[in-house]
Amino acid sequence: MVTGYIHSIETMGTVDNGGIRFVLFLQGCALRCRFCHNPDTWLTKGKAVTVEEIIDQLIDYKPFFDLSGGGLTVSGGEPLLQPAFVKELFIKAGELGIHRVLDTSGYCRHGNFLEVLPHTDRIIFSIKVIDPEKHRRLTDTGNEEILKNLQEAVNSAAELVVCYVLIPTINDTDRDVWDLSQLIRSFQRKVPVQVLPYHKMGVVKWRELGLRDPLEKIPPASPEQVKDFQQQLVKKGVEIYH
Amino acid sequence: MRDFILSNVKPYHGDSSFLAGPTERTRRLWEKCRELLLEEHKRGGVYKIDPDTVQTITAFPPGYIDRDLEIIVGLQTDEPLKRAVNPFGGIRMADNACRQYGEELNPQVKEIFTKYRVTHNDGVFMVYTREMRRLRHYGIITGLPDAYGRGRIIGDYRRVPLYGVDRLIEAKEADLNSPRLMKIDNEEIVRLREEVRQQINALHELKKMAESYGFDISRPAMDAREAVQWLYFAYLAAVKQQNGAAMSLGRVSTFLDIYLERDIEEGVLSEEGAQELVDDFVIKLRLVRHLRTKEYDELFAGDPNWITEAVGGMVSDGRTLVSRTSFRFLHTLENLGPAPEPNMTVLWSQNLPQGFKEYCARLSIETCSLQYENDDLMEPIFGDDYGIACCTSAMRLGEQMQFFGARCNLPKCLLLTLNGGREEASGERIAPNVYQAGPGPLNFDEVWPAFQKMVGWLAEKYVTTMNVIHYMHDKYAYESLQMALHDTFVGRLMAFGMAGLSVVADSLSAIKYAEVEPVFNETGLITDFRINGDFPMFGNNDDRVDSIAVDLVRLFDHELKKHPAYRGAYHTHSILTITSNVMYGKKTASTPDGRKGGAPFAPGANPMHGRDKKGALAAMASVAKLPYRNALDGISYTFSITPNGLGPDQESRIRNIIALLDGYFLRGGHHINVNVFDRDLLINAMHQPEKYPQLTIRVSGYAVNFVKLTREQQEEVIERTIHSRGLS
Repeated sequence: MVTGYIHSIETMGTVDNGGIRFVLFLQGCALRCRFCHNPDTWLTKGKAVTVEEIIDQLIDYKPFFDLSGGGLTVSGGEPLLQPAFVKELFIKAGELGIHRVLDTSGYCRHGNFLEVLPHTDRIIFSIKVIDPEKHRRLTDTGNEEILKNLQEAVNSAAELVVCYVLIPTINDTDRDVWDLSQLIRSFQRKVPVQVLPYHKMGVVKWRELGLRDPLEKIPPASPEQVKDFQQQLVKKGVEIYH
Repeated sequence: MRDFILSNVKPYHGDSSFLAGPTERTRRLWEKCRELLLEEHKRGGVYKIDPDTVQTITAFPPGYIDRDLEIIVGLQTDEPLKRAVNPFGGIRMADNACRQYGEELNPQVKEIFTKYRVTHNDGVFMVYTREMRRLRHYGIITGLPDAYGRGRIIGDYRRVPLYGVDRLIEAKEADLNSPRLMKIDNEEIVRLREEVRQQINALHELKKMAESYGFDISRPAMDAREAVQWLYFAYLAAVKQQNGAAMSLGRVSTFLDIYLERDIEEGVLSEEGAQELVDDFVIKLRLVRHLRTKEYDELFAGDPNWITEAVGGMVSDGRTLVSRTSFRFLHTLENLGPAPEPNMTVLWSQNLPQGFKEYCARLSIETCSLQYENDDLMEPIFGDDYGIACCTSAMRLGEQMQFFGARCNLPKCLLLTLNGGREEASGERIAPNVYQAGPGPLNFDEVWPAFQKMVGWLAEKYVTTMNVIHYMHDKYAYESLQMALHDTFVGRLMAFGMAGLSVVADSLSAIKYAEVEPVFNETGLITDFRINGDFPMFGNNDDRVDSIAVDLVRLFDHELKKHPAYRGAYHTHSILTITSNVMYGKKTASTPDGRKGGAPFAPGANPMHGRDKKGALAAMASVAKLPYRNALDGISYTFSITPNGLGPDQESRIRNIIALLDGYFLRGGHHINVNVFDRDLLINAMHQPEKYPQLTIRVSGYAVNFVKLTREQQEEVIERTIHSRGLS
């Protein structure tokens, strides 16, 4: 029996336009994104559950998935820090005909990524920023491993969406647009980009953890800023995911 | 009636694109009404009172909003929004209500109903035992209809246009002369003969009232306009004669559709004309008013009348009862703007036409004015011609009526158990001592059987109290007009209720799975509880606690049924609080689930605020486990979600609402209120009410103008769980 450590369960997630989704937030993430809205999922200490326990719950909600075109989304934290658990869960969910989405930062060992990939229907791959130096400043880590995993995702059969959280003054420069569009256009298939506005809803959690929000002076991204960024991407031949 | 509908109905499978907007006339008439409504709000909620006239079907001369603009006519009094005095339920209530709004009840009226005429309220209090009074006084059983009209009776108003009043009188005369009513060998027959005679008198009065407006309704309606007018007259006579808490309409839209479609087919009516008739009818329904006291408003906030109209549903042969007029009724929410009345209730089936499902979903998103009830669950029990009284009470139209029984405060009953039968605030002993909590943690294996015993004891008091109330209501405030629109030999339901289900379920769960230690004061009463450890909470699809909630529903049902109900009524009960969850909470001390003394209960069958931590589907799953067959008067769930929580765009929001409703009802859920709003919107409306005069939200089983709620109630609504989490 494979066990995973989870942070929480949201039985009705709807944000990514994929119907009603059972969202499993796994515990643990090695990135330290300055803009993280779930810093409470960083540490690996969580509630232990078995794949069977989750599957039992999923079966219970299957009619809602079928009726809305939804399914299971595994998010976090970084789910790929627990590849054996996610793999097993995805295999079992697949057998039940439940659609599987992996919401990942791609920051994990390449092997982990390869283990889960074949059992995934759709990947939401969150890219923070392309420039390695900026990436290091924003997350404490370089992005070489991440980009390697992204290429692997492009090569796979899974549906792929690149997700980009737009943070005013941090990753919204012309250079950032250029880097991102260059990367996307280098892929062998069309990969749409979803631009999400940076918001301040995670600030409370930083405070609860006794941490100082490192981006406290940064305002949330406005709908206009998001639109503007999207338009720049479109001009450079990138498809936008709504 | 059913045959008429089934052989003439034209099910409609299309979408809403055929609908027509408001005509210039409708717009002007509604504008006049809006001015009046605004003025009513400015005057503190009551526009005008007539303190001199005792309300009956024919007490007032005709009244109009604007005679030249109206195509459907009739008002309760001689002026729109003017409230009449109805002292039959209780003279003190009428007197207080007048005084609270700065009027003096006519001394002669007061004298007649004090000296010469017994009211319902007098009758009840002559018979109540000391025990009943104490249970009532301390709010263990509460909100009882012993001082106002009981309501919850739905006249089959469709009979008036279909048959004309003369044929209804003939049929009642024939009943009086039938062998069953001619053999007068027991009290029930005497009573029934008197009642039928009163029914016939009421039908004559109904005719007279219509005559005063220039209509002869002794014959059947001949066209659509007459059908709407005849039907409205029947309903109007009911709300003139009775001030019942819930005066529901039934299921009229598809019946009226037959007339509307025939006129359209014959080329004498256009779509605009058809919509105009419906709009005008609905305007009239929105102006229905009763004179209430301020204490009453605290229980049932926002001046509701529960003019519940059941829309949609299926025929047992698989056809749908959705017609174009089902759409036209809902469309009034767009033509006239959102409003709490009529209480639009969609009878939802998996098999409803897709176009109708989509239209309902869109209106829920845009107006928050709809509630949904599970037709697939009710149709096998109540047939395919049932209506909904109030919020969730199903009954066969014209064949069944209900004795409304308000509700008991279940958490208070638990505290009564733990305190050895003493009321937790006063210390007065009002119930038997079946158990007394001592120092140290409570033991579930002791508390649960003791609580069962207490519920059993309370059930007997509750049933017998109801018997007193309804005996007296039949005697002194009989609904002769509404009962004239029922079969003479009618089926009766007695509808009990409970408040605070999730509080008690969580409390018992805490006692079972965590350590709960009572804190005593110097007189040995429990003032608080210390809780150590975690325990499962209702609303997270966790069987450990959900099964406790299910057991509670079954227990209550089982205990009630042990005690015979007045006139052979069948016991049902509801898990529904209206807005009284706030007031009940205020009167209840701290409970073992960690709820602090005075804090509101969750409404209806909802999980407690903020304790449903796994999202909407888990909360719905918990509620859907509650067995409808053991709570046939309805299980109310109020669901609130932000627009973004529902989906990123309109198309996905509509799809997701439909999936939620289909999924919830497939699991056996009975009722759901759907609200789609942001918390900020409510907070703004609380601070700047003048900017949001028509903001409508669903509370427990009905909709209200948010700005008409008291501050406490507004705060409670804002505190409720609003599902908002998407993926990121």
